[in-house]
Amino acid sequence: MKSLFKSSLFIFMMIPAYFFAQTTVTGTVTEEGSNMPIPGVNVIIKDSTTGTTTDFDGNYSLDNVNQGDVLVFSYVGYLTREIAFTGQTSINVALPLDAAVLDEVVLVGYGSTTKKDLTGSVTSITTEDFNEGNIVTAENLLAGRAAGVQIITDGAPGGGANIQIRGATSLNAGSAPLIVVDGLPLQGGTADGSRSFLSTLNPNDIKSFNILKDASATAIYGNRASGGVIIIETKKGTSTLNATFDQLYNVNVLPNLIENFSASEYRNIISDRFPERLSELGEFNTDWQRAIYQQKLGSITNASVSGSIANILPARLSMNLTNQPGARKTSEFQRYTSSLALNPTFFDGNLRFDLNANYAIEENRFADAVERGSLTFDPTQPIFADGLNVGAGFFEYTNPDGTLAAANAPKNPLALLDLRNNRSNVKRLFGNLKTTVKFPWVEGLSATLNLGFDETRTRGTNELDRRSAAGVRLEIDGQETLVGSKTDYADYRRNRNLNATLNYKTGEDFTVDLTAGYDWQRFDRSGFNSGEQRDLDTDFDNFTEDDVQLLGFLGRANFGYLGKYLVTLNYRYDGTSRFSEDNRWDGFAGGSLAWNIAEEEFLKDNSTLSLLKLRLGYGETGNQAINAGTLFLNRYRFSQGTSQYIFGGETFPVAVPLVFNPDIRWEKQTEYNIGLDYGLFADRIIGSFDIFQRNTTDLIVFSQLEEGNNFSNRVDRNVGELETRGFEANVDIALVQKSDFNWNVNYNFTYLDQEIVDLDGDIFEVGGISGGTGLNIQVQQEGVWPNSFLVYNQLYDDNGNPIQGAFSDLNGDGIINADDRYVYQNPSANVIMGFQSQLNYKNLDFSFNLRANLNNYVYNNVESDLAEYRALLNNNFLGNIPTSVLNSNFESTDGNQIFSDYYVRNASFLRMDNVTLGYTFDISEKRNSKMRLSTGVQNVFVLTDYNGLDPEISGGIDNTIYPRARTYLFGIRYTY
Amino acid sequence: MKKMSFYFRLILSTIMLAATVSCVDDLDVEPQDDQNVLADELFQDIEGYQALIGAAYANLALTGPDGPESSNIANIDAGTSQYGRALMNLQTFSTDEAVWTYENDPGIGDIQRSIWSSNNVISAGAYARIRYMISVTNNFLAQSTPDLISSRGFNSEETALINQYAAEARLLRAMAYYHMTDLFGKAPLLLENDPPIGYEAPELDRVELFNFVEGELLDIEEELEEPRGFVGVDYGRADRAVAWMILSKLYLNAEVYTGQGRYADALTYINKILNEGGYSLANEYKNLFRGDNDVNEANSEIIFAIISDGITVQNFGPTTVMTNGAVGSLEQNGANLGVTEAGWGGAIRVSPQFADKMLPSDDRNTLITDGRSANITNITDPATGFILEKYSNLTADGESGSDLTFSDVDFPMFRLGDVYLMYAEAVLRDGGGDQATALDYINQLRIRANAPQINSGDLTLDFIIDERARELYWELHRRQDLIRFSLFTGGVYNWALKGNSLINGTGIASFRDLYPIPANVVQSNDNLTQNEGY
Repeated sequence: MKSLFKSSLFIFMMIPAYFFAQTTVTGTVTEEGSNMPIPGVNVIIKDSTTGTTTDFDGNYSLDNVNQGDVLVFSYVGYLTREIAFTGQTSINVALPLDAAVLDEVVLVGYGSTTKKDLTGSVTSITTEDFNEGNIVTAENLLAGRAAGVQIITDGAPGGGANIQIRGATSLNAGSAPLIVVDGLPLQGGTADGSRSFLSTLNPNDIKSFNILKDASATAIYGNRASGGVIIIETKKGTSTLNATFDQLYNVNVLPNLIENFSASEYRNIISDRFPERLSELGEFNTDWQRAIYQQKLGSITNASVSGSIANILPARLSMNLTNQPGARKTSEFQRYTSSLALNPTFFDGNLRFDLNANYAIEENRFADAVERGSLTFDPTQPIFADGLNVGAGFFEYTNPDGTLAAANAPKNPLALLDLRNNRSNVKRLFGNLKTTVKFPWVEGLSATLNLGFDETRTRGTNELDRRSAAGVRLEIDGQETLVGSKTDYADYRRNRNLNATLNYKTGEDFTVDLTAGYDWQRFDRSGFNSGEQRDLDTDFDNFTEDDVQLLGFLGRANFGYLGKYLVTLNYRYDGTSRFSEDNRWDGFAGGSLAWNIAEEEFLKDNSTLSLLKLRLGYGETGNQAINAGTLFLNRYRFSQGTSQYIFGGETFPVAVPLVFNPDIRWEKQTEYNIGLDYGLFADRIIGSFDIFQRNTTDLIVFSQLEEGNNFSNRVDRNVGELETRGFEANVDIALVQKSDFNWNVNYNFTYLDQEIVDLDGDIFEVGGISGGTGLNIQVQQEGVWPNSFLVYNQLYDDNGNPIQGAFSDLNGDGIINADDRYVYQNPSANVIMGFQSQLNYKNLDFSFNLRANLNNYVYNNVESDLAEYRALLNNNFLGNIPTSVLNSNFESTDGNQIFSDYYVRNASFLRMDNVTLGYTFDISEKRNSKMRLSTGVQNVFVLTDYNGLDPEISGGIDNTIYPRARTYLFGIRYTY
Repeated sequence: MKKMSFYFRLILSTIMLAATVSCVDDLDVEPQDDQNVLADELFQDIEGYQALIGAAYANLALTGPDGPESSNIANIDAGTSQYGRALMNLQTFSTDEAVWTYENDPGIGDIQRSIWSSNNVISAGAYARIRYMISVTNNFLAQSTPDLISSRGFNSEETALINQYAAEARLLRAMAYYHMTDLFGKAPLLLENDPPIGYEAPELDRVELFNFVEGELLDIEEELEEPRGFVGVDYGRADRAVAWMILSKLYLNAEVYTGQGRYADALTYINKILNEGGYSLANEYKNLFRGDNDVNEANSEIIFAIISDGITVQNFGPTTVMTNGAVGSLEQNGANLGVTEAGWGGAIRVSPQFADKMLPSDDRNTLITDGRSANITNITDPATGFILEKYSNLTADGESGSDLTFSDVDFPMFRLGDVYLMYAEAVLRDGGGDQATALDYINQLRIRANAPQINSGDLTLDFIIDERARELYWELHRRQDLIRFSLFTGGVYNWALKGNSLINGTGIASFRDLYPIPANVVQSNDNLTQNEGY
């Protein structure tokens, strides 16, 4: 650094030399170390368009060089060199191999390091690695990009993703990673009326994701980091003026549909099975499933300006306008975000402020999930019908005398969409102010104070038209009368954070980097729900959640010797208001070692191996994210208006004692990680392997509570242990690396194995399915993956067809009952792969990405609930059923049949999320202004044997989803 | 430089200040929702005690504080975990009185087919709901010790009320243990001073449970309100006659519970109800099961009822289920029952063996048989098998109830009609008493129902069990009665679905006279043992 400083001083001193005479400069460019000539090196005069390239022997010749000009030598894979022209006739340059990748700054929580000095398992994804395409929410930028990170996105516009890093870490205290935006740890849950908790963050503002995967890295975040940490850094102000404007349009095609009987097939079935009811059929051929979807144009508009106001205040301002209707009719998602970053520095950089402020408005109209209703509605009935006293012009069932049909009659799915107006308005303000002070009197000492604030306000109204057949029925003047439905709600969430750190760095060969800090965070939430306003019997509820307060004291020490041997130690002491005074504090330690083997003498001259680093890590993290804020207290809850009791005709709310656990304490994770980073051929191939084992002990389980005077049969308790083992590999390859042709690919691979080691002998069902009241298909028990399916073993006839109601008597007691259910497969993929390809040829760019999951099993609840001939009569009304009934030939799936392993299907898949083709026009080279036109397809294809709508089902129970429709995109981006 | 150090000091002191202000006390967070309170706040005034004893009573009707779909019992559907519903599932659906159409509702299929195991969610849910009653009443008792009452500064009148509530808490606890005795045959003994968690309570076997319940009831008898003392004042609370009723039931079934007949003791308490209770038969049988049975003429017969209200005490308990569920899929007779036209699409039917016991001319016979086969040939087809209309959400005068789903009908857990039948049975079982009085009681019930009277020769135990079916069906006594007559298990009397045999049923093993202790419960308390056969 010092020499660079001197040389720039030197340049400044040379400025007057500008007026000196012009000369021709020649020379040779070689590779440092090997002294081999490098052909094709760009040699340009800085801040000009004058330049040349080296020939095959590495020679160049450049005319018209002035005194004071700076020559810039650059070539992909090598570090750029700048040399000032002071009159030399010949300038020979030796370019060192580019270790830039390794010097990339990586954020590690309360500080940063370089990729080279990194000791934990951290994946850093920056702008250039982001996914292309229809990026509505931030998660989409990441899907499939990093080994060990699984992101199941939602088909709904702006919908949230289910993110898991290295698999689930907890059964009951949440496994979602902690997301930290510019030092502000976000609150997990989604506000009522919002699409998802990241839906208000503009993806275009994101500069990088740093994913902290192993516990040695996450331990510094202690109290909320057990699911891993994703640090999001947003874009900042710059010293030069930049502006971008981009506009993306998208339109979806009809999503996949579940195969059911067409109108004519349906007529045949009814005449076979219910000839006496043929007269109830209509005259129409309606494809209800198609009818509920729309093809609407969506758009995403981004504009941003960054620069330095009056040359002292680096600033960035960006705006986003997103309009994504989504595939379901009546669905709307509109988002407006604006964000401002100010990054002024004072006193030679010794005082620095970073202000990020974001304001977002989200306007939604939610469309009910009517997929099942559309699948089962009689295809011979019309969408519209005149003259009915119900339905506002839509067809609905009525009694023969024209009166309202019974409440359990099927409802026209399109009317359900059209007559419901379920809107919300979400306003979110979040940001932080970070103050960094370097103390000039102690070199290397700095302090940081980061104040963060995040507030979301929602107001929503969910109204159903009074003419809707699905409305509330009240008895008015002795008549069952439809009155529609209306509820209002509001939600207010706030998250305040303060963290202060002191950092001290020193040393040359032996480096020391010490950090100590304090972290304060408080969450609060309140809101109301009006209850059904059309039925005055129901309750208006104002609620306030218990505040959650987290405190942490943290310390970290990094030691390095010659950049070869690196040690990181960290410790965090955390407190939470969720536990009693005796249990609320706990300490979490982590440590890691790294050995840069390639830096050793015996490898230093090896030109093939540019990086070889071995990492060993151990860390502990805690989890306290149980639902209740004060589970440890013996609380009483006054009952709502509908849940009172009456003594002597006098109604009063009762004080129901709530279940409590005074002993609830921290769930703890310990994780071991061994990693190897490598780089080959000047980092043209760069990759890593990681192998890890993570044990969650004191696992918080919603566990049987038999002993003692308590107020439920289950409560969150620290009784179990969950073990996760895995292997990850990641490789980036620069397949082609030429000045006008680059082709980079990335491949990542994750293998996971999980087991519930201990549940204190408890076994309990989870995973509710439809088809009955309170049915569960999954189980938590010792020795199996979490959420494994608990099913009966289906018996098949000689032709391989399942026999209805016939199952293996697994315990051999002669009867088939709940004791004969067994554990069969689970919804988690044990192999997850991602592949990306990015190709640039001259001004053309082309990219695509692929993802694959193997052995993720799905319980097909659509089929188990509906593919039965009995369902042709739906509450005594005719109804359609899926054609998969032809495979099973089941009359009924009632009783045990619905729990059959026949419905548990392997849903392994290969999916192409996106393909994008772009072309960039250089509008003005001088101003570096460019325009890029791009076109692409989102959700290009899925290859799978799974017969449901989509194999990628979060949680593994397929009850239809908001479809991920294929979407065509066209974009234009202008940069200045 | 001077200016600079000023800034630094400013920033440094800000950091220091921020760190100290936000001290560790911030971790002390109190419940913030206005619905949630801690004990010290709740028991400041007498209303808090009423709210807690109310919660104990409400545990018979409600499943949670936040509406009919909320529940403080996990792993079972909220509505299905309702106290009365739990009794209904275990005492009625396991017998000839009812068949549930929707076997996809977990556990009910195994109950009505008599193939339940220790993993059955319905019996586990019933156990947990009854168990909750023990905890909530213990909590009341722990909060009403003399020391706590005096430290909270209550006056003598308030103290007396708290003490009376406490006697009722013990009564409700005894009732819960009585249900444990009857259904599970054993239970962990939890008393008011036991801790909330981590305590493995000792197991009481059936005889010990019997003695415990008997002792408790005898102990509190005097502290309870006079029979019918709450009528017009605090109707809904349990009085002394409720304790007598449980004692009577306990003694009547003592041979089953302990191997030792106590019929004379049964008669002692039956006579107390008859002679000191002040109850009288309703004029019309049907009015006992109407939406206004808390105030109509039939109320004179009701000894104890679980309160229900379509607006303020919404629940999926027995009266909501036995109105909505009774609506026929063919008949669409919801209007008769005060619910929506289609109700629940024909959820409940009865076995032909039960229907056979009904007399053609008898007001108590509410069967609907027209256009229906007696046999249930297909469980999932609600059009097969007979249905009936016992409960209705309409008032005695045929006025609509307050809601089309949630019932206003208070569930009559104990009533005088039952006591008459118990009297006759106890006499026939040589407990003493008087044959002529017994005959008179039976005929009073028959006269009310416009059914033919019987003569003394007809009055046998075989008659009693069938007459109990005719009078008391769908009042959640059937399993207990059949067991007392040795007809529930074995093969002497079979009905549709018994032993997993659809039309005629088949015999089942005698271990099914008791339900299993839920597997999870046995597993989590080392002192508990499983019932034989499971």
